[in-house]
Amino acid sequence: MREPTRRGADATTAAVAAVFALPLLLLVPRALADVWRAPAVLPQQWGLRGVEAAFAPGAEAGTAVLNSTLVALGTTAVALALAWPAGRALVRLPARRRAVWFVLLLAPLLVPTYATGTGLVAWLLRLGLADTLVGIGAAHLVQVLPYVLLALLPAFGRDLDALEEAARVGGASRLRALAVVVAPAAAPVVATAALLGFVVSWSQVATSLAVGGGLPMLPVVALPFARSDPQVAAVLDLVLLVPPLVVLGLRSRWSARLGG
Amino acid sequence: MMAREPGGRPPDAPADAARGLRELLPLLPATTVLAVLFGGAVTGALSRTDAATWRAALGDPRFWPALGFTLRVTVLATVLSAVLAVGLAALVRRRPRAAAVVGVPVLVPHLVAATVAAAWLGPGGLADRLLGDLAVELVRDRAGVGIVLVTTWKEAPFLTLLVLTAWDEGVRRREEAAATLGAGRWDRFRHAAWPAVRTPLAVGSLVVGAFVLGSFEVPLVVGPTSPPMLATLALQQTRVASLEGTAVAAVTLLVATALALLPAVAAARWARRADA
Repeated sequence: MREPTRRGADATTAAVAAVFALPLLLLVPRALADVWRAPAVLPQQWGLRGVEAAFAPGAEAGTAVLNSTLVALGTTAVALALAWPAGRALVRLPARRRAVWFVLLLAPLLVPTYATGTGLVAWLLRLGLADTLVGIGAAHLVQVLPYVLLALLPAFGRDLDALEEAARVGGASRLRALAVVVAPAAAPVVATAALLGFVVSWSQVATSLAVGGGLPMLPVVALPFARSDPQVAAVLDLVLLVPPLVVLGLRSRWSARLGG
Repeated sequence: MMAREPGGRPPDAPADAARGLRELLPLLPATTVLAVLFGGAVTGALSRTDAATWRAALGDPRFWPALGFTLRVTVLATVLSAVLAVGLAALVRRRPRAAAVVGVPVLVPHLVAATVAAAWLGPGGLADRLLGDLAVELVRDRAGVGIVLVTTWKEAPFLTLLVLTAWDEGVRRREEAAATLGAGRWDRFRHAAWPAVRTPLAVGSLVVGAFVLGSFEVPLVVGPTSPPMLATLALQQTRVASLEGTAVAAVTLLVATALALLPAVAAARWARRADA
């Protein structure tokens, strides 16, 4: 079979980028265009009105960024703590039983997020957790945990078990083996899973809207601007893109280091 | 509900049961948390509904158009994403840099994707200005083209990554072997690659289909006001200032949930039968 030529590869990358990455760049001029009336292709006036309106005192975006960050961090931490033992146990099960557990643990991904959110409200109200960050985190966990579990699975397997056993045979306690041998070996996959979990929580709209009461969460605050004020929407969208861009940046650095 | 091992217990049950339990113990925290939250969500929704709310929900003049619209958009976006994913995977599988770029939309929040689409393709959007006048309505159109476009832009890359994971070195070697035997491009794909990628593609498509069925922010930004998707209809229903509104919305969402789970249940049964 023919290997792709250099020029062919470049053309493919350019074509793919034109469809899947470059359109996002429109957010930058859109965020900085104070006046951009049709049919002009370039803005009539550049400025920071969007930033000022989004982050004005009394506007919710600042609090929303903080809330979204806290919830995403908390949810991801809990998801990792739950998914780590579950994932290790899962890969040791015989294939058939593994499949059954797999389906059970991934089933929440099939349910509409707004349904999960509105369904949980009654319980969260009873527990006094409605309209709190903890309540929002709990609702996010339904989505975050399955994704984190899926992302963790590549870390587990015979290699990791063998490493742990070697450490134990060498006299390390269970905890020490985990800290010194197992965790560092699994670190890249754990980091990937954590970043994915963060982004999944960070992007939630429907669940936050359903259980959050009026608590400002970034995508919920950004949502109405998408129709009412495209400039403010673009500013908030750029903030929303920060964690995904960090993930992409780290991923390309890691794959460069691995020579991939 | 706990999964029980199919086929019953072997003869030396006690020792095996103890080992089985030890094996399953680490799975319990995650499963319990999901079961409580997920089960809580479903029972929470069910507890709000009774015969009267079901009648009210199914009698809502917006319900049936929303259901039809949701199913149409879901099938269209899912099929389009799956077909595109195979094509994209074939295109980028030996080009790691292009593959990395295809992965970009996977991490982009749906809300951002929808807003960007509106800025490009909406009335007065940049495409409109560059081309003079877009001949077709792509955003907030009644046919739901905007929702299909945004969803496909987000989900085709997700499925592409799944397909690429399965289209590995082993498959490549089989393709090469087939090529030396004189197999053409289509035959190589059909006999070497397709058997390897179809399962992850099918499982991924189930997840994508379920996601589109419940999609919320995408139709709110680029969808028509009427007909709504099921999830956005539920939002409209909760905005009625009465408790009945949330109960009717619960019914709408239960219908959406059932529709999302149905293909997965069918697929699981089918896989079991194929297995046996």
